[in-house]
Amino acid sequence: MTSNEDKAPGRGLAASIMTAALMLPGVQAHAETPPANGTITLGYLNYKDSQSGLDRITVHSPSVSITAPVAGVWNIGASVVSDDVSGASPRYHTAISGASHMQDHRTAGDVSATRYFERGTVTAGVAYSNEHDYLSRALSLQGSLESESKNTTWTVGIGHADDHINPVNKIVSNEKKRSTSLLLGVTQVLTTSDIAQLTLTHSQGEGYFSDPYKALDNRPRSRDETTLLARWNHHLASTGGTSRLSYRYYRDSFGVRGHTLGAEYVQPLSQGWTVTPEARLYSQSAASFYYDPLYDAKLGAPFPPGYNGNGYMTADQRLSGFGAVTLGLKVSKQLDKLWSVDVKASVYQQRGSWRLFHEGSPGLDALRAQTVQIAINRQW
Amino acid sequence: MKPISIAMLLAVALGAAPAWALEKGAAAPQFDLQGLEGAVKLAKLQGKVVYVDFWASWCGPCRQSFPWMNEMQAKYGAKGLQIVGVNVDANSADARQFLTTTPARFAIGFDPQGATPRSYGIKGMPSSVLIGPDGKVLLEHSGFREADRAELESKIQNALGAVK
Amino acid sequence: MKALLLIALAAGLSGCASLGNVQPWEKGTLARTEMTFGDGHMFTRFDDHIYTSREASSGGAGVGGGGCGCN
Repeated sequence: MTSNEDKAPGRGLAASIMTAALMLPGVQAHAETPPANGTITLGYLNYKDSQSGLDRITVHSPSVSITAPVAGVWNIGASVVSDDVSGASPRYHTAISGASHMQDHRTAGDVSATRYFERGTVTAGVAYSNEHDYLSRALSLQGSLESESKNTTWTVGIGHADDHINPVNKIVSNEKKRSTSLLLGVTQVLTTSDIAQLTLTHSQGEGYFSDPYKALDNRPRSRDETTLLARWNHHLASTGGTSRLSYRYYRDSFGVRGHTLGAEYVQPLSQGWTVTPEARLYSQSAASFYYDPLYDAKLGAPFPPGYNGNGYMTADQRLSGFGAVTLGLKVSKQLDKLWSVDVKASVYQQRGSWRLFHEGSPGLDALRAQTVQIAINRQW
Repeated sequence: MKPISIAMLLAVALGAAPAWALEKGAAAPQFDLQGLEGAVKLAKLQGKVVYVDFWASWCGPCRQSFPWMNEMQAKYGAKGLQIVGVNVDANSADARQFLTTTPARFAIGFDPQGATPRSYGIKGMPSSVLIGPDGKVLLEHSGFREADRAELESKIQNALGAVK
Repeated sequence: MKALLLIALAAGLSGCASLGNVQPWEKGTLARTEMTFGDGHMFTRFDDHIYTSREASSGGAGVGGGGCGCN
């Protein structure tokens, strides 16, 4: 993490970029100059989930990312990540039997370039992700414009992704999925200690959305998504800490509505230590074509009642109605002028009964997950 | 006193920053600040070409500008240049910390209340104002990039050249 | 005299819009890393990847497309 002093004066900030596996480096909205120093980060993620008393998926994910200012007006970023995924996940609902064991390796990389202007920035990025059954390539372009006082920053972005799907079980072959996203955002300085951001994203996708490894999974061939994200950072002079709150509303044409409430509190301590506890609350409705684990009397599991081979359906827990809670703690240490280390541990649990304000989907076992993340950073 | 100076004083008194940056040829507003070794007053620098730089410990480009300002002060000090770094940190201790790692070989004044940048109507951090020996503003510049060094140095040379 | 009063009034009024009107030299706190939103930090990316693999919501802060095989 770069230290405070290397940041140009805080202004409105362009949204950072994130979706699924593609992670372009966050756009900095310090529009006059790129960061004075480059950074190289070595990271590692260890993720394990479990359900019904059994371990499910384990992921080991080492990653390297680098950012470098160039010629005083450019900032280049690049990263590579290598996921090792292994384990078993249910073929339908949370059924243990027949769970397919898998072992997969995914490599992904991305590069972005940001050009800084007097009152704005332009960022272009490309991303690539490859595993034996899925190839994804994406492009994005994002621009930011600051007001004269630099207290307001407007952001606009567009992205496009092209995916090729070739599942090992040959249920389908040479399938495609393409999506285009549009983003509009505004970041506003409120006081000397407050800054807020509102971002609206709309995405349209066409192609193959089903999960070929899940039984009877048949999803619509288009998916429109809208996301509204509101964030607010507030600095507390009394403690020297900063609260970072966020709320995200998501809705899509699958019928899913999701609410995400995130809160973290960054507390610097002496000797270069910083602790950041975090809590996240999540709640979503089921997709309109999700069916509960109630099976046809004649055909049995996994067939839904009255199954006739037609229509959209999914027994994927990810599209059921549930609530989830994450609790995490990050500890960081600035070792010297150049080196710093971050370690974060978090626990996650997902339950149908935890859905907020409405009934969640019944009959699914709770999902538990734990993660440990480490990052070693060096400035240069 | 000129009407524009009265308006400036009133604007400062009412806590509003002028909506306009200082115009070229306007009289540079006075300042009288606590420095590292005694007071730093603009009035005392009459007859010199004064380069006022507004800086803060949290401003990234400031770290790049200090070595350059040290170089300028060394090169043109004898010819009548005086660089004054006006620090605007709310907490001057942060500024002193900055100076231990990035020393200044020019005058430093502390303005934690921000009255001086307000009176100069600065638009960004860092900002610099070049003042002629007659106390009039020659240029106001926002930011500090690699490309700015040559341009700023030539402006300083012109100002010093005009003195002769 | 009238001109002076008008200038003073205008100057005073412009100072009243204090919400969102922070001056460049007052941005020390806003410059802190934790006060920015530009966290392309590795942990954000890891977290987002995990959440989009386990939940139906996605995105929010940026565009980029691309994905893993986690349909």
